[in-house]
Amino acid sequence: MFEIIFTGKYAKYNLGAEHPFSPLRMKMTLELLEALGEKVEFTEPQPVEPDELFKIHSQDYVEAAEAVSDGKEIPNAEKYGLGTADNPVTEGMAEGARYICGGTLLGAKMLIENKAEKVLQLGGGLHHAHYSSAAGFCLYNDLALAIKEMTQNGMYVAYIDIDVHHGDGVQEIFYNDDKVMTISFHETGEYLFPGTGSIFELGNGAGKNLKLNVPLEPFTEGESYLEAVKKVAQTALSQFHPDAIVIQSGADAHFSDPLADLLLTTQDYEKLFRLLIELGNNFAKGKMLFTLGGGYSFEAASRIWTILYLVLSGKKIPKNLEIPENWRRRWSGILGVELPEFLHDRPNSYKAIPRKKEIEAHNRDTVRRLLDLSTAGMFYF
Amino acid sequence: MLLREIMHTDVLTVSPDTKLCEAYRTMHERKIRHLPVLDGEKLVGIITDRDLRFATSKLSEVPFDPEETVQNVMIKKVITAHPDDPIEIAARIMRDLKIGSLVIMENGKLVGIVTGIDLLDALLALTGVHRPSGRLDVRLSDRAGELAKLTKLLAERKINIHSILTYREKDDRVRVMLRLNTMEVRNIAEEICQMGIEVVWPVHVSCLR
Repeated sequence: MFEIIFTGKYAKYNLGAEHPFSPLRMKMTLELLEALGEKVEFTEPQPVEPDELFKIHSQDYVEAAEAVSDGKEIPNAEKYGLGTADNPVTEGMAEGARYICGGTLLGAKMLIENKAEKVLQLGGGLHHAHYSSAAGFCLYNDLALAIKEMTQNGMYVAYIDIDVHHGDGVQEIFYNDDKVMTISFHETGEYLFPGTGSIFELGNGAGKNLKLNVPLEPFTEGESYLEAVKKVAQTALSQFHPDAIVIQSGADAHFSDPLADLLLTTQDYEKLFRLLIELGNNFAKGKMLFTLGGGYSFEAASRIWTILYLVLSGKKIPKNLEIPENWRRRWSGILGVELPEFLHDRPNSYKAIPRKKEIEAHNRDTVRRLLDLSTAGMFYF
Repeated sequence: MLLREIMHTDVLTVSPDTKLCEAYRTMHERKIRHLPVLDGEKLVGIITDRDLRFATSKLSEVPFDPEETVQNVMIKKVITAHPDDPIEIAARIMRDLKIGSLVIMENGKLVGIVTGIDLLDALLALTGVHRPSGRLDVRLSDRAGELAKLTKLLAERKINIHSILTYREKDDRVRVMLRLNTMEVRNIAEEICQMGIEVVWPVHVSCLR
């Protein structure tokens, strides 16, 4: 059995009609599941209070974020990454973010209290929120709050980030923590936001060698991606043996994503989710909390998260599962784009990559170098 | 970036009559490779780990004894720089002369030392990613106002520039790499492309090809 966490209040975290981090993505996912005949039953979370966030954010930052979100002018908003192109200030956004944090925190509590083995939080994954600043569409770090709750209850936690962007906020908050292993798979920061996530970022102090980063080449395809995940996650988890795994399931490594350059298909995502669950069952007593994350091709993100739901509920997904006409018509009208007829991508849906072999070799080298570094216990920073 | 900003000011030195074995021990223990030699306050030479090892090696024609003094082995003509010299001057001198450090002198007194490693740190500081940012890579014509067009657009979109690196390519055009505080580099890159500036990265946006 697995639990779903969701509330319509997540939509209060709305950064504007033109902003890519849109609550529509969750709505599309839920409606797609319903259209496919799934009866999605979810638990609604309460929002966390601002002072609960001091565990993972500085007090002055939280106060600044709450103030601007209430429409107050503050002199140094830029310092906190507030009011930028990526993190515009909108009314009520802080409350919305606290609902999201409440949701992910509730998921953590379900795992701590053994009330669920697998939890899907249908929102959240704000992995770029730093200790003292907003960044990359993220205000409050719901993932870090949930992980902190678990470690304070004596658990060792592995965090796996499959968002196409480096999970820099979560990594930063637990950089010295020996109870938290973070593993981020992302397009290399040499090109993509936020720029960090090199193999040399291995953690510090007691947290040394527990922070792993796998920066992948632009135009990496599914096979190479899955090979890297399998090799690194299996090696790391088999040594760390966490009590639970938190997974940021960003869908922006899909080939149609407008913000990044990796080339995963929905089939690759299905394999990835099944692989992660297998790893969780083998090395983390099956306890897993999945959140959403990035994913800016709305139609791809909603299909990928639908696949995540179906995989978690133990379902087989037929190869040619059609998307019901009513869902397509409705969302096609809202978004003003054509929507695909099938849940899974069609074959050859993107142009062949001429550098495929080079890219695969490069990624293999990256994995090799990372494992050499981290397992040799070398001191870098 | 000036040498004053990156130099080490707590410089370990030796005197001309320091024994070679003592100088070696100091380098070994403190994990350094260069020791300026001071006679009182006057800079009279510099000795490196390489000089020491060559001088005392069994492979030398006439190896020095470890008990001999630094003054017989040290380089007497020391290459120095001023703390207000920019780091690129230091890099040029060190590169041209193939030396590993520069002694920094001000008002006739030794005030610091800079090594190749410090220049690598400076390179990291200049090119490194210190705040969340995405990469934008463009080619500009080498004439006045080109960069201004670009930065004006970024300012209008409320996008902050974290760093700018440039170099001249073979065809006399200027390659400019920027790190911007946005996840949505592609959107802005498309606008830049429409202004007639060639976008190298993100690669899909290269509309001028």
